[in-house]
This record gives sequence, structure tokens and C-alpha cells, in this order.
Amino acid sequence: MNDAVATTLVGILGITGSLLMLFSAIAMFRVRDALSRINVFSPATGLGMPLIVAAAYVYDLHSEGFSWGSLLMALIAVLCLIIVSSVASNTLSRASVLSGQPVYRKTAPNRLARPPAGIVDDDPDYPDHPRAGA
Amino acid sequence: MMRFVHGIAYLAYIGWAIVTGSATIVTRLFRPGQYAQPMIVEVPLRCVTDLEVTMFASSITITPGTLVTAIAAGTSTQPPVLFVHALFEDSEESALEGLYDMESRLLAMTRGRAPTTAASTVTEVEHEEGSP
Repeated sequence: MNDAVATTLVGILGITGSLLMLFSAIAMFRVRDALSRINVFSPATGLGMPLIVAAAYVYDLHSEGFSWGSLLMALIAVLCLIIVSSVASNTLSRASVLSGQPVYRKTAPNRLARPPAGIVDDDPDYPDHPRAGA
Repeated sequence: MMRFVHGIAYLAYIGWAIVTGSATIVTRLFRPGQYAQPMIVEVPLRCVTDLEVTMFASSITITPGTLVTAIAAGTSTQPPVLFVHALFEDSEESALEGLYDMESRLLAMTRGRAPTTAASTVTEVEHEEGSP
């Protein structure tokens, strides 16, 4: 692999990954509640960080030459990033719901919001049709 | 052998979903108007074992734009239920359709063939809840 190809590849992969992190951070300001913020951050963890790892691997491949050790390290790093960030997002979102964080009021339909047990939730104007997904 | 083929296909599908979902989140930043339409939908699962449910929940969360917010355990009469927070879907039906498509591919990987039964809808599950 010659210098130009390696430099270009490292640049494309690394800058794309960094831009994804930046745009995810900007997107976090465009949404309104904790759940959506956890949601829009997944491009950074699911695609941005693996791309940066790929850039680091290409740079290593160019400067040090091929070795099975570094290939294995890069593959394990990408796999672990994806699995760990997914499980971490799950844990964060469940913690945010269980701790009673407010959900953005325009979230519709919100199937998690159920009336507490014992509350009669009928619309007095339409007694035959209980409100769906209230 | 079929499981292996389905597994490769599933990995490719998840990778493609990550790329397109990231593209959606980034491109909508530069579009005027409302950024997202958040909704929380209820997904009754056809997954049975712990491994299937865990893998499905992780796959949903790693896909940008969808996030698992709560998991309800299944009982002998009703399936386990995931509550999924979706940001960029047009309607509840299209959100559920995409999730069931992903679940079919996942079950094809773990069981060797795609499930033939259609997913039970939310209304059916709620009907079963009411019956003793």
C-alpha cells in the first residue's frame, strides 16, 4: 500500500467517524427528552467509533506492516464497541424510565403510559369506546 | 448450515440498518421543520428464549432511531413485550412492520428457518389480558 492511498483512507475513515460524533452531539440538542437523547447518540457509538478504530488499524497496517495480532485487536475492538454500546444504551434508557424521567409530551403514541390500576379511564362523551393508548 | 447463512445475512442487515439509520439522523439535522416524531410502541415478541430476546433488544438499540425502553417478561399465556422508542417513523404500523421484519430475520438465524406464524398484535394481547 503506497503512502497516498493509506493517508487518504485514514483521513476518510477518521474524519467521517469524527463528524458522526459531532453530528450526534448536535442532534442531542435538537430533541427534547432523555430517551431521545440516548436514541440519537447511537450513530456515534454504533458507526463513528468503529470507523475511528478502522482508521487506526489502517494507519497501523501502513506503518507497522500486517500482523494477525493487530487485526484481531481491531476486530475485537469493533465487536466490543457495538455490543457494549448497545447494552449500555439499553441500561441507560431503562434507568431513565424507571427513575421517572419525564417523557417529551408530544411522544405519541406512548404505550408505556397506562392509567394506574383502579382508575376508570372512559371518555364521558363516548362511553362505549375506552380511550386507546391513553 | 442454513443458520450460518442466515447469520451472515442478519449481520449484513444490521450493518446496513446502522448505516441508513445514522444517515437519517445526520441528514434530518439539515432539514428545516420538525426534527423528530418520537413515539413509544409496544411490541409483543415471537422470540422465546432469553438469548433471542436479548439479541433482539440489543439489535433494536444499536440501530439508530430505535431504542428499547422497557422489557416485560412473558407469562404462560402472553408473550414477552418490548417497549420501543422510535424517533423517525411515520406511524405506529410502519414502526411495528420494521421491527417484525428484523425479528423474522433474527429468528431465521437462531432457528434455522423463518417463523411462519404472524406476530400477535397489541390488541390481541390486550384481549388475552382481560380474559381470566
